[in-house]
Amino acid sequence: MGESILATSGVTKRFDGLVAVDDITYQVSEGETAGIIGPNGAGKSTFFNLLTGYFRPSEGQVHFKGRDITKRPSYERVMMGIARTFQLVSVFDSMSVMENMMLARVRQGQDYKSKTRFFFKNAHYRGLEKECADALDTLGIADKADALTGDMGYGEKRELEIAIALSLNPKILLLDEPFAGLSLVDIAHISEVIKKIKGQFTIVIIEHKISKLMDLVESLCVINEGALVCNGNPQEVICDAKVKECYWGKEDMVCY
Amino acid sequence: MINFIQSILYGLTIGGILYIISIGLSLTFGAMGIVNFAHGLIYAVGAYALYTVATLLGANFLMGAIGAIAVSIPLAYLIERFIIRRLYGQSIDYAIIATYAVLLIGADALKWFFGASPLPISDPIGKLWYFGGLQMPAYRVIIIILAGLVFVGLSLFFKKTLVGKIVVAGLQDREAVRSLGIKVEKYFAIVFIIGSALAALGGVLYAPLSTLDPYMGFEIIILCFAVVIVGGMGNLRGTAIAAFTLGLVHSLTAVYLVSSAADAMVYVVMAVVLIFRPIEASA
Repeated sequence: MGESILATSGVTKRFDGLVAVDDITYQVSEGETAGIIGPNGAGKSTFFNLLTGYFRPSEGQVHFKGRDITKRPSYERVMMGIARTFQLVSVFDSMSVMENMMLARVRQGQDYKSKTRFFFKNAHYRGLEKECADALDTLGIADKADALTGDMGYGEKRELEIAIALSLNPKILLLDEPFAGLSLVDIAHISEVIKKIKGQFTIVIIEHKISKLMDLVESLCVINEGALVCNGNPQEVICDAKVKECYWGKEDMVCY
Repeated sequence: MINFIQSILYGLTIGGILYIISIGLSLTFGAMGIVNFAHGLIYAVGAYALYTVATLLGANFLMGAIGAIAVSIPLAYLIERFIIRRLYGQSIDYAIIATYAVLLIGADALKWFFGASPLPISDPIGKLWYFGGLQMPAYRVIIIILAGLVFVGLSLFFKKTLVGKIVVAGLQDREAVRSLGIKVEKYFAIVFIIGSALAALGGVLYAPLSTLDPYMGFEIIILCFAVVIVGGMGNLRGTAIAAFTLGLVHSLTAVYLVSSAADAMVYVVMAVVLIFRPIEASA
């Protein structure tokens, strides 16, 4: 396993006295695929928002490749290589699939010059179209390039959202409940996609059902009531007594 | 019948001016969730800049209009940089209080410089155009045409340019635009300044139809809020439709009902729309 790529030390986030994230020290290693699980309302998404810069921690620091990024805003973190998706799919319904992809390239494409960037269409002539098409192809929605995003199904929008994140050239990709609200077919498909891209860069996935993560991740971390309960090898984590207690209640459960 | 067509045309004039002023308000409201009363100040400053250049300095109306827009841009920049930008993500009450304070301070500053008494601006064209039995001041026709041009120009801007596309995306989902590594506030600031320049233009266009007074921004801003609410916050097409509809309501009420009820009728329409509008999921 490589060096730490993204790490927090003692991050806490309070909202008007409510402690949403409580003193979490956590790290992801370069190249690994990590899972974060926990019951609904455990603070997983808040923790993600601290990692991606959508919230600033009340206490503690966030480090990316050894650099303190605690005070860096979200858009700068994206430029450093921290890409994310949202629990509720966030794509732009009024635009075509390709336009969504092009928008993601606005800040990324150093390959076209700023003076030609007044008109949106100019981006098309700079060979970006192929790159975008490749990202769509990875997700299996290349044939939808000209479709209006608003007309697509929720599963396809999720695929587009991941394609957009991929086109940002991430060093680490954070997926916030990528399976939420999807049909079983779509879940299987997204799972396949994650298996396909896994290893190319670091991936962190939030999920509240353990079963969907077991064959995807190399490490698993459990968050409950804002605090980190357990972190390590997935098999060991799910057998941990503390994890069972917070996650399934006091009843004894058979190990996975 | 002639009378009716005439009031329709007068209504379109008012609608066109309301549209030009409201578009900036609508975008600021829709994109940033900020209720910006300072918009009314920019409108008033536009009108007074016209008065300064055209009447006090003796230049022509067109120079006055250019002067008004030139003054509004740095003023809008200052308001955005030092007030609006601090209000992002804050409760909407803070925005109301802060921008209302700007409007109050600005209006009193205008009163201090120019006095409280109403100042007239004469019709810059001063010609009547006749279509059959219909007579229409040429100036009003030009306002309607100008509003149409602004609508087309903005539509192209939001459809074809990079800044426009980013703002349209930001209206749908600010966070998602940020997740693409784009500092969305920067683009909103550009649109804020464009919207403010249009408000100043609105002040210029309305001045010859009425008189200037330091508190003119207060009256217009309330009418513009009605336009924004009826048209939908951040909805470009809706704002245009609402502005022209309310302009017509205003004009027809004044002619066929009671002239003093014209403003009130605008709010009645707003109330009806609020009662019957399907509840939209807000972002």
